[in-house]
Amino acid sequence: MLVLGALMFCSGLFVVLTKKNTIMVLIGIELMLNAANLNLVTFSRFDPQALQGQVFSLFVITVAAAEAAVALAIVVKVYKYFKTSDLDRVKSMKG
Amino acid sequence: MIELDHLIAPEQSEYTLWVVALLTLPLLSGLISAFLKQQAPYGSSFLIGLNLVVAGFLALSLWDEPVSIRGSWFSLAGNDFTYSFFLDRLALAMSVIVNFVALLVHLFSIEYMREDPSKPRYFAYLGLFTFSMMGIVLFHNLLFMFIFWELVGLSSFLLIGFWFEKKSASLAANKAFILNRIGDLGFITGLMILYTQFQTLDLDAVKSLMAISEIEDGNWVVAFKKAGQEVMASLDGRWLSAAGIALFCGAVGKSAQFPLQVWLPDAMEGPTPVSALIHAATMVAAGVFMLARIFVLLDAQALEVVAIVGAVTAFMAAIAALSQFDIKKVLAYSTISQLGYMVLAMGVGAFSAGIFHLITHAFFKAGLFLSAGIIIHQLHHLEKGGQKFDPQDMRVMGGLRRKMPVTFFAFLLCSLALVGLPGFSGFLSKDAILLDLAVWADEKGGGFYIPEVLAFMTVVFTAFYTFRMILLVFFGEFRLAGILGRNQLENELHEGNGWLTVPAVIFALLSLSIPFGFTLNPEDSWLMQALPTPMYVVPVAYAAQSLLDIPHETFEVLHGLVNAVSIGLALAGLVLAYWVYRPGGKLQKSFIEKREPVGVFGQVSFYHWYLNALYEKIILKGILAKARGVAWFDRWIVDEAVNLLARLQVVIAYLTRWFDRVFVDGLVNLTAHSIGKVGQLTRSIQSGNIQAQILVTFIFLLTLILLLVL
Repeated sequence: MLVLGALMFCSGLFVVLTKKNTIMVLIGIELMLNAANLNLVTFSRFDPQALQGQVFSLFVITVAAAEAAVALAIVVKVYKYFKTSDLDRVKSMKG
Repeated sequence: MIELDHLIAPEQSEYTLWVVALLTLPLLSGLISAFLKQQAPYGSSFLIGLNLVVAGFLALSLWDEPVSIRGSWFSLAGNDFTYSFFLDRLALAMSVIVNFVALLVHLFSIEYMREDPSKPRYFAYLGLFTFSMMGIVLFHNLLFMFIFWELVGLSSFLLIGFWFEKKSASLAANKAFILNRIGDLGFITGLMILYTQFQTLDLDAVKSLMAISEIEDGNWVVAFKKAGQEVMASLDGRWLSAAGIALFCGAVGKSAQFPLQVWLPDAMEGPTPVSALIHAATMVAAGVFMLARIFVLLDAQALEVVAIVGAVTAFMAAIAALSQFDIKKVLAYSTISQLGYMVLAMGVGAFSAGIFHLITHAFFKAGLFLSAGIIIHQLHHLEKGGQKFDPQDMRVMGGLRRKMPVTFFAFLLCSLALVGLPGFSGFLSKDAILLDLAVWADEKGGGFYIPEVLAFMTVVFTAFYTFRMILLVFFGEFRLAGILGRNQLENELHEGNGWLTVPAVIFALLSLSIPFGFTLNPEDSWLMQALPTPMYVVPVAYAAQSLLDIPHETFEVLHGLVNAVSIGLALAGLVLAYWVYRPGGKLQKSFIEKREPVGVFGQVSFYHWYLNALYEKIILKGILAKARGVAWFDRWIVDEAVNLLARLQVVIAYLTRWFDRVFVDGLVNLTAHSIGKVGQLTRSIQSGNIQAQILVTFIFLLTLILLLVL
């Protein structure tokens, strides 16, 4: 299970770092969050009081849902403003 | 001991209002002409006429009991400055004459200036002129006299330069003004000397204090009480003479005496009625009037100077009048000459004779100028079709008596008065002067016969130039017709209308001796008797011998001789003039054709003894050279120093700028630049490249974890 979690985290990170599309980046973030959830659930096995990990992951899922909603709203706004969702193009700061 | 405060204590009179009216009506007449515009001549003349009535009323009421009005003007550091009017016979007679002449000149000007667009200005100046003269006549305080003296100078400047578009007119106005200033410098010096000694300029007080001053060891000492304290003023005795001579300098300027007389001929640039006013009643009379006012303050030395200056002026001006072509110039020189007589009279102590001549001269000279004005005015009307000529040049006149009989009549009567033939006013007054002069010369002897000789020679010349003028203007043929080539021109010439001729005729009638007494002996004239010569009040050691002290027989012995000589000389002058200038005569012809007189004598006469040239060569040149020297110094020394300083500053500024730019700016720029570089280095991290940031964050996180774990 931990190996699956690590794989998911790595593929999520890969997606976040390489994809140009904002939506894809969001998906990558979701992947990483879920990898973290998997880890939480797995490690709750060693929890003497049990269930702490599972409950925590439930909270994470809730927050992630909220986060996805906010993020998607931002993406829509960004798209409306810049007429693109390409992250490389959305750079108004100089550097 | 006399108290000064008593001397200048205020005095009231029931006539104060009348006097104020007499003084201010002429000013009012000048002021309203500014508002009346085209109706100005009538309004102004009316007010002057009204003023003549006031003057006449005052003269009739106050003739036998002079009135003094005095009040405090202001007080400065314990010194009271007063104003005072004194209406004695002299002031009353002068106010009547000034207003009378001014009224007739106003009436004459109505017609003379009819076509001039700046009539209101002209009448405003006339009013101002009359007002200023009335101030001199009425005020009995030297300071106020000086103020109005200056006002007279100003108004004469304005009127002489009335046609200021003409360069020559504005130059003449400047000349009159500047030469008068030179004289006024003397006047104010005299005032300062008198004030230093007496601490007042009230004429009554000055006379009283002069009467009690004494000469001690060559010092001029006066003791009086001022504000309860005794004052003992002492000056070197020579200041007494100096004060008289300095005050006389003022009269020299105003009355056009040698050596300041050169402004008067140039003053002919003004309108002719103004010349009548200046020469008869206002300006030049002011000098003689002032001399009469300070007469008793003059000591023997000052009087000698006055007499000599008067005689020299009379002679020089008579010579200059002999050869002029301009009719007004002849009249101007004759005025200077006659003024010389008046001043000479004052100098020899013949006070009443001098005043008498001032008054008779006022009438006949005003008449002469107005008649000349008619001639000029009528000749001017012949100018048409672009044909230009000088209507004042006697060479274009001739034969005018046929077309202008009234003018001829007036001119002739006034001329005979000027020559001084029996039956005319000029005879009486000139006879009085010559008689007093002869007695004076006999008493003094030696070199003092010279003024007498000059004065008698002047009689010949006066007769000569006067008759020459009459012959050239009124006899012979009308030369302008020949010059312009218009044969019928004489028929276009008319007599002036009533506005012009009536004033001239009135003056002509006043040139007869009848108004002044039905007599051939000036001593029987009511005017001479009304204005007796006062006694000198200067300390005895310095006083001149008064003519009053000379026994009457001396006068009677000389009277017949003086009469005979002066009449003989006058007739000789007439005959000589007729011989030279008789119509059709050879000499007249050659004279008329000449552009200017030939021969040393003619040249000296025509150019007025080269006085103008002399002043130009010596004084003007000197002043101009000095001015140029100062200008050179200013330009090359002062300006250069300033410029050098400026250049030095510029150089220093350049240096500072260089230092500023290289060092100060460099330091600042270096700081800014290095900070900028650092910013550039760091800002690439802060770019919007989120993925790169995440990567970096992740690497750092990993490194952190690895470091923690290991």
